[in-house]
Amino acid sequence: MDANATHSDRVAFYLTGRRAEGMREVGALRPALQARYRDLTSLRHDFPLVLATSGDAAAPSLTALVDAALASIAKGADAERARRQVLRVEQEVRVLLQQGVEGTLAKLWSDATARLAPGRDASLAEAARRARATIAVDGPLLRCDATLPERLLQHVWQQEQQRKQTALRERLVRLIQQLSDILRADFERSGAGRDATRLKASVGSGHGDLFDFDAMSRVLARATPREPMPEARRERIRRLLGVLDAQPFVALPDENAARAAGHAAYGYRFDSCAAALAAWRERLPKLIELARAIEVAELEIDGRYHAERHDALFASYGANGLEPDLLSHFPDVFVCLDGTSLDAAEQTRLMEILAGELPIKVLYRVDDLLAALDDAAAPTSPGLRCRQIAHMAMGLNQVYVLHAAASHLPRCGERIARAMRFAGPSLFCIYSGASGAATGQSTYLAAAAAMESRAFPAFVYDPSGGPDWASRFHLDDNPQPELDWPIHRFEYEDARLQRVSVELAFTFVDFAAGDARFAPHLARLTPGSDESDLAPIDEMLLREAGRLPERIPCVRMIDERDRLHTVLVDEQMMRKARRSREMWHSLQELGGVHNSHANRLLERERAAWEASHAAASALPAATPAAIEAQAAATSLLAEAVPEPEAAAPSRDDAYIETVRCSTCNECTQINPKMFAYDANKQAYIADLKAGTYAQLVEAAESCQVSVIHPGKPQNENEPGLAELLVRAEPFR
Amino acid sequence: MDTVVSPPTTVKPAATARPEATARTMLTLREHIVEIISDSGEGAQRCGQSLGAIAARMGNGIWTTEIIPAEIRPPARSVAGASGNRIRIGAGPITNGGDETDLVVAFNEQVLLGRVRAKELKPGCIILLESMWRTHGDAQIAASYVEAHDKLVAAGYRVIEVAMEQECKALVADAKRGKNMFVLGILCQLYSLDLQIAREQIALTFGKKDESVIRTNVMLLGAGHAWAATNLDFGFRIPAERVTVPQLVINGNTALALGVMASGMEICAMYPITPATSASHYLSDVFEKVGGLVHQAEDEIAACAFAVGASYAGKCAVTITSGPGYSLKQEAIGLAVMGEIPLVVVNVQRGGPSTGQPTKAEQGDLMTAIFGSHGDAPKIVIAPSTIEDCFYSMITARRLAETFRMVVVVLTDGGLATSQQPFARPEFSESWLAPPIDQSPVPEGARPYDWDPITGLSPRFIPGQPGGMHTLTGLAHDRDSHVAYDAEINEESIRARSLKLAALQTTLKPPPIFGADEGDLLVIGWGSTKGAIEEAVQALRDEGRRVSSMHLQFLQPMQGGVGAAMRRFQSVMTVEANWSDRPEDALIDDDNRRYAAVATLLRARYLVDVDCWSEVRGQPIKPGTLRRVLAAKLDAITAPVGSPT
Amino acid sequence: MNRMTATECLLEMCEEHLELEDYQSGVPRWCTGCGDNAILAAVQRLCRDEGLRPEKTVFVSGIGCSSRFPHYMKTYGFHGIHGRALPVAEGVKMSRPDLDVFVNTGDGDCCSIGAAHWIHAIRYNMNLTVFLHDNQIYGLTKMQASPTSPIGTKSNTTPRGSMLEALNPLTVTLGVQNVSFVAQAVDWVPELLYDIVKAAYHHRGLSFVRIVQRCPEWMPKLHDPWLHDPNRVQVLHHARGLQVSAALGRVYRNQLEHDPLDLDAARRIASGNDAIPVGILYHDPEVPCYEDFKRSTLLRTPALIRSGLQAQFDKFTVWPKAAEVETAQQAA
Repeated sequence: MDANATHSDRVAFYLTGRRAEGMREVGALRPALQARYRDLTSLRHDFPLVLATSGDAAAPSLTALVDAALASIAKGADAERARRQVLRVEQEVRVLLQQGVEGTLAKLWSDATARLAPGRDASLAEAARRARATIAVDGPLLRCDATLPERLLQHVWQQEQQRKQTALRERLVRLIQQLSDILRADFERSGAGRDATRLKASVGSGHGDLFDFDAMSRVLARATPREPMPEARRERIRRLLGVLDAQPFVALPDENAARAAGHAAYGYRFDSCAAALAAWRERLPKLIELARAIEVAELEIDGRYHAERHDALFASYGANGLEPDLLSHFPDVFVCLDGTSLDAAEQTRLMEILAGELPIKVLYRVDDLLAALDDAAAPTSPGLRCRQIAHMAMGLNQVYVLHAAASHLPRCGERIARAMRFAGPSLFCIYSGASGAATGQSTYLAAAAAMESRAFPAFVYDPSGGPDWASRFHLDDNPQPELDWPIHRFEYEDARLQRVSVELAFTFVDFAAGDARFAPHLARLTPGSDESDLAPIDEMLLREAGRLPERIPCVRMIDERDRLHTVLVDEQMMRKARRSREMWHSLQELGGVHNSHANRLLERERAAWEASHAAASALPAATPAAIEAQAAATSLLAEAVPEPEAAAPSRDDAYIETVRCSTCNECTQINPKMFAYDANKQAYIADLKAGTYAQLVEAAESCQVSVIHPGKPQNENEPGLAELLVRAEPFR
Repeated sequence: MDTVVSPPTTVKPAATARPEATARTMLTLREHIVEIISDSGEGAQRCGQSLGAIAARMGNGIWTTEIIPAEIRPPARSVAGASGNRIRIGAGPITNGGDETDLVVAFNEQVLLGRVRAKELKPGCIILLESMWRTHGDAQIAASYVEAHDKLVAAGYRVIEVAMEQECKALVADAKRGKNMFVLGILCQLYSLDLQIAREQIALTFGKKDESVIRTNVMLLGAGHAWAATNLDFGFRIPAERVTVPQLVINGNTALALGVMASGMEICAMYPITPATSASHYLSDVFEKVGGLVHQAEDEIAACAFAVGASYAGKCAVTITSGPGYSLKQEAIGLAVMGEIPLVVVNVQRGGPSTGQPTKAEQGDLMTAIFGSHGDAPKIVIAPSTIEDCFYSMITARRLAETFRMVVVVLTDGGLATSQQPFARPEFSESWLAPPIDQSPVPEGARPYDWDPITGLSPRFIPGQPGGMHTLTGLAHDRDSHVAYDAEINEESIRARSLKLAALQTTLKPPPIFGADEGDLLVIGWGSTKGAIEEAVQALRDEGRRVSSMHLQFLQPMQGGVGAAMRRFQSVMTVEANWSDRPEDALIDDDNRRYAAVATLLRARYLVDVDCWSEVRGQPIKPGTLRRVLAAKLDAITAPVGSPT
Repeated sequence: MNRMTATECLLEMCEEHLELEDYQSGVPRWCTGCGDNAILAAVQRLCRDEGLRPEKTVFVSGIGCSSRFPHYMKTYGFHGIHGRALPVAEGVKMSRPDLDVFVNTGDGDCCSIGAAHWIHAIRYNMNLTVFLHDNQIYGLTKMQASPTSPIGTKSNTTPRGSMLEALNPLTVTLGVQNVSFVAQAVDWVPELLYDIVKAAYHHRGLSFVRIVQRCPEWMPKLHDPWLHDPNRVQVLHHARGLQVSAALGRVYRNQLEHDPLDLDAARRIASGNDAIPVGILYHDPEVPCYEDFKRSTLLRTPALIRSGLQAQFDKFTVWPKAAEVETAQQAA
């Protein structure tokens, strides 16, 4: 038992980090839960990706492509064998990548096939060929390394840009064509357009000798003279053409570019916010000019441009910027930032971009979350800064934010696409996992661990998702988001070769413990030591901090031979873990998980309901009849359309139900002064005095839809009144 | 023209040993007429077209004429069922189908008899006849074959039996299909055509199909070529004059369709009718590639009304039809005339009246083209006279229609429609295209029918032009397009619409005269007869006869200078493919003779005693026939005084 | 994007607003009391309320009283020939999709001499708004029975009363493949007439509106029973169709909720012969328009035509043997 550290030693270590007898350097251990991921090449996971130049998915995973291929080829007798062979090739491709071979799917696939079946195994080569044949897409293979975030996002961005640029190009070509047509139409009808030589050219060599074109030119000039287009308009169109031809935003097809003095179009990829902003500021005037030209051109082509009305309007065009919706028709800028080395100046410019709603897509990459985290003195770590920037961006409300570890990107295809389509700035905060400090861990595992352990959770803020947080903010990509830490079943054999199965949480400590820089805060126990006074991290975190602990936090780790070790964790490490958990909690609240406000509200409501329920049960139940009556009442309400009920005219006033007048001209023919049409060409009584009661009655009689009501006579002593009143009666 | 060929003396029966090369008699010719005929669907058409194309590529002048039965699928081996192609191959340019056939390849004896009865074969002409029928299982067929064969031999035709199908069986499964290419091989050998060019041509014809099809056909070609080399001890050479420019080899309807595309027109509205439809078939296939469209309407009337609507809206449209369809369009054409809406109407004339002879050629619609519709409805009427002309006429038609706000009727016929003749590949010019629609505001006070008192022309307002709003109407209308029954206005508007023809006429040059400017006889023709007339006239002039010809491209208005030209000749006659009463008929005299169309027009306009000769056999008029007719006419003219002219 | 940009708002502000008179041209020559006057008023209201630009609007008609319609509109108009209004309008629309095209046709024009075009126009389903002014008599030619004249109609050509059952334009139209919008209005209920005309205009496809119309000259009493008994007018309403205003609802109490997507019900209603159904009988916005797949999407530039033509030429070109070209060049 000497070799065993006593409880007090352990407490001491917990508080001070000083190792006693029987506590060893942690060395190159890995989190127990990562046991299965020793050899990634044999694991069919989300990597590598194919940067597809075609197809609907921008970057499908090799696994997905192969599965699809197998689904279509692995049929018939040799199905199983073919399946195995193809999977073997897939694995070999992973091996090649691991060895640092670069290239497209096509290349590596054939290399792998060659390595596996050098002439001997024809059937394998054949299976590989058939599988490859069914995979339509091709492109560079991408493994999960430091370059992944940039290459992947830039790829998606480029595809979106191509779509935008094509659309813009087509629009410009159309506008240029239609504007030139206006000038051509004018020329064709001008004197010059109808001179003999042009007329001759217009009938074609075969008929050149049929006509006397001078005569024809004279006839046309004489018969159909035509005043040319106003110089102002011609000038306007020429200017528009100038702008459209010379715009530097997209390259136009040759026949157009011919006119513009073949200048190069802009580039849109930058490595610093400073450069991007500078370019943006320098280009903005040209952009406004182009946007204006497009608007004006559309009006001009549609014959709707009226100088007197529109000149003023367009003079001030874009004075207070261009709104994102409009900007989204033009190419976006893509900026790649390295979060580890980002100075304050860049940060402020980044905020300018995001706050300014500029059409700029920013990748903010961090390779190392834990740098400077191990020493208490350091102010903030790159990881924290990244999180902080993401939160600030969300605070701006008009920025699309995607926060995720590189290992997770393959699952974010649709979200990345949305972000690239989003009209406004997008911010991608990505942890690459390439810290270099992780012991015996691949970049992929480091990244995956960061996400798993909540050290770098995945979340999205999508302003185009809807009006409220619930529809804009998503946390659900994380494993078991409702828990503090994801819990996994873990099985091992104990010293007595008995199978033991426990549930382990994957905590921040599990993530950090794999990092050499945290070794000082860990102590490995000798196998078989007494563990009765130990407790797992998650359990410890549930207890109050800052009291003398009767139990010591420990974490399960394994060595390169997959032997299980128990590792003590000191208090400082636990603080980091606690903080990480706090941050996770605040995210959960944003994501609507255990939302404190909601919970309180819920409590109040429940209490209220229970109270009222108790009260209700005391009273006699409402009779069905009563309920029906109520229902009927409501339905009646629904039917009766509320309306401004004009006081019904009395039988004594003369009036016309104008809305029902069918414009048949009967009354207006009888007396156009007395009866007139309103703005809708429907009749009303314009002037009762302008005619006789006799006319009123006649009109009422002749009105086909009987909407004229003569009322009582104005002039008591109009002749024949008695008889008229009788005739009027049915219409009053 | 055609050098008389002393026919080969001996003909080796099929399948004998190859003779010495020296044993072959090679004859050099100025030209030859070849026919390939079969039941329809046996590929004689394709064989003939390919032969024509190959010869053209060699630099020969060619004219191919389709031989089409009236029904889609006439009974096999029927006398009326001949389907195939007739190719006139010449050393120099060829302007028409020529006379009777010098050499014919027949897939069965019945279709051949049909041609014999139609007097299409030259006396003693060489016949390559499929011999499979001789041993046919059906005794009756075998018998009729033998009978026909012997009759032909007796009639002095040089019949060579060829076991075509049997020869092909050795090479392909479906010998019936492969035959035509085997025959093509034979003909290439016979006429010393370059086999490599032939192979290329096949690759071109079957380009759409896959490699194997091309390979098979090339093999058959070679087989036929070899067979002829082995078994025929004669051959011909038609030395080609060099062609140095690329040429198009297409028929008249394809030329029309290409012309439509080149004219910048965007919409063709049609309804199926023979022989016009093939133009629309081709257009339907390719028009959309240049942003155009073909609308197959519910009927001819709708097709024309649709085109009128499209033209009214600013894009001059075309409607393509044949005789009966043209009649149906008359009312809509009248509306276009009244509303002064530009419109191009193509009438590919066929035999009439009524359903008449759908697959045959005639020039019977001239009068209805000029005087058709109702009231005074002046239209421009032009008639292409060559395949090349069909192409350019569409460009000119579109141009005139829009410039003069008139209906332009283009008259071709079944002959031009289906004949192929090479012509220099056109150099496209953007000024052929219709100008963009004018949408500029209409100046204050401008009026939709502001007729110029001298030319009758007026500027046109197109929907979309601000301030130009008016209602076009088929009713009599004034300069504002307001309905007007007023006598003055009615006369003014009719006068204006008529004057436009005069205005156009002043811009036309007099038609050139072929031959001397004066002489005994001036022959006047129009449309597809040009080649035959000029060939005949040339032949007679070579004999020293004082005859010239003039061909009218514009029938309405008529080009100037025609009257003056006529007066420089002792006598004038027209040659046309529409009916004119035969003077020799018992009842026919000066009081009742109905003259051919153009003759009638010329007599009316120039008070000149214009005679006419015409024929409505449904076939293109043959130069040989004309040569006899004109010679006779000349004899009559130049006969001593006293005898009637 | 249906949200308007600032510029769009400003532009809308700039558009000048036209009044009814701005669409009025000349003085209608229709008889006093003729239903055409009501239709003209409703259509002019539509033009004003939708802000249609006169130069971008075309009214195409055939022959007959109703076909005088375009003359009274200060827009572009085409008063063509008897029965051919539809094909003309199709031509206009096909060549100029940017124009709003309306068709005014009568019962003789559409259902008799132009019947073939009518059937096929429905089938083409081009984006046209078609008004059938159905007064059930030939007016302009002085009273002959038309295909829609009720059996027994005494006219100059049927002095002892017409012997054939009247043709029902609604059932015929509803029977044609590709039908996409069929409505019926009566000229004496202007409010509904306007609503229906408006719905028809907004439908993308061929909207066919049969307007039952009075002819005071030749059939003065024909519609009195319906005119004087609101209950003989059955108003069709539906969330997807017309909504009936309260005021109107008080006059016309005979109402029926009818889903315009229900073709069978539409045919049933159309076949009924007691009350006149007024409203939208059928409306399927999904039927494709002929012009949409017929018109090429290519931008028709001279360059396009040049290349297209050259491609065709290449198919048919026989090129001279290179040797001969050379010799020719040497000669030259």
